[in-house]
Amino acid sequence: MSPDQELAEHFRGGDEHALRIAYDRFGGAVLHLAQRVLGNRSDAEDVTQATFVAAWQGRQTFDPDRGSLLSWLLGIARRKAVDRIRTAVRENRITETIRALPEPAAPAETPERIVDRLVVADELAQLPAEQRRTLELAFYDDLTHPQISAVTGLPLGTVKSHIRRGMASLRRRWEVDGAAPGPRPAGRSRTL
Amino acid sequence: MPHLDPDRLVDLALFDSAAEPEESAHLDVCAGCRTEIGSLQHVATLGKETEELRDLPAPPESVWAGIAAATAEPVASVRPLPAARTDDGRRRRRRTPKWVPPFLLATAAALVAIAGTVTVVQLVDRPPAAEVTARATLSPLRGAPPAARGDAEVVDDDELRVDVSDLPLTNGYYEVWLIDPDDTSRMQSLGGLPADAEAVLPIPPGTDLRTYRLVDVSAEPHDGNSAHSGDSLLRGTLTS
Repeated sequence: MSPDQELAEHFRGGDEHALRIAYDRFGGAVLHLAQRVLGNRSDAEDVTQATFVAAWQGRQTFDPDRGSLLSWLLGIARRKAVDRIRTAVRENRITETIRALPEPAAPAETPERIVDRLVVADELAQLPAEQRRTLELAFYDDLTHPQISAVTGLPLGTVKSHIRRGMASLRRRWEVDGAAPGPRPAGRSRTL
Repeated sequence: MPHLDPDRLVDLALFDSAAEPEESAHLDVCAGCRTEIGSLQHVATLGKETEELRDLPAPPESVWAGIAAATAEPVASVRPLPAARTDDGRRRRRRTPKWVPPFLLATAAALVAIAGTVTVVQLVDRPPAAEVTARATLSPLRGAPPAARGDAEVVDDDELRVDVSDLPLTNGYYEVWLIDPDDTSRMQSLGGLPADAEAVLPIPPGTDLRTYRLVDVSAEPHDGNSAHSGDSLLRGTLTS
């Protein structure tokens, strides 16, 4: 069982340590999502707080078979943030909240998309160090296999296999935990 | 042509390589490989966007305070009661749950330390009650005011708790030493000391307290010289 699965188990079981640890571990991601959706720091902090309170109170409804604790928390936060916008609109308090929103959200920047990115980032952070490093060089620095091999001193074949396995892990996590509809197969992904 | 090789799929998805004509021909007819590439491309795009998500800032501690108040289950937010004593007089230890992985513990402990005002779950073991293994009464030496005095206690053989009062004013600072009275050139510095307060100074491991049994408090100028100034104010000998 991975540390995060164990954390989720204890959270669900009502172990109060788990609430604080989950908050330490995932509070930043929840706040980021709320902030991106609401465009307003103080509302985002409210939503973060409400998310953890709701999660704790509803912990028994968390189903580890349907996704990770992170994605469950992000799902709660997303709904709360979206509800808050809807309420604001309905109550005609449009001015402040809407004005505070970032420029008309680019179509790609749906809350679901933000969730997907957070989930992939979380998985990336948990990959074995060498795998993570090679992927970061490919993602952030646009390096090719041979360039990554030169930078890291790893043999080309190792770089390729790190990238292939790392991509497979990210993809699995995204398929299980992602929120956005996307080009994903109905069944399990082919093992890479 | 057979399905594309997994490394090649990643190449096409992540590194924008151009497909060879025969690969393109295969992709035109193979929905499976097209889906694979589509998924991998999507994941690669998400991956490229994660750079800003590394080290996301934590929410302010007020958010946690609100959560702790709202969940209000005793342990998560309530100031811990003084530890109950067990029959043998030692403090009962509150253990960190075994399942808490160390890397999480480190974060939590660090946050607890920063939090300050909010008493959070006690994740870190409380040490058992300290045991005083030796003590010394510190008396003023020539040059120190007659009222100056102090007490020193060795705790668990690894710390010296020093409490002083009425030391003369100094432009420098006070320093605590353990000295071998049989050869007073042999000494260990334990560290600085506030003028009117208690300090707990770690005793370097391996220090033989039967040899280094003379506790000495000196006045030290800020002269960058780490050796004893020769200006001792208080001394006393440790006895068990």
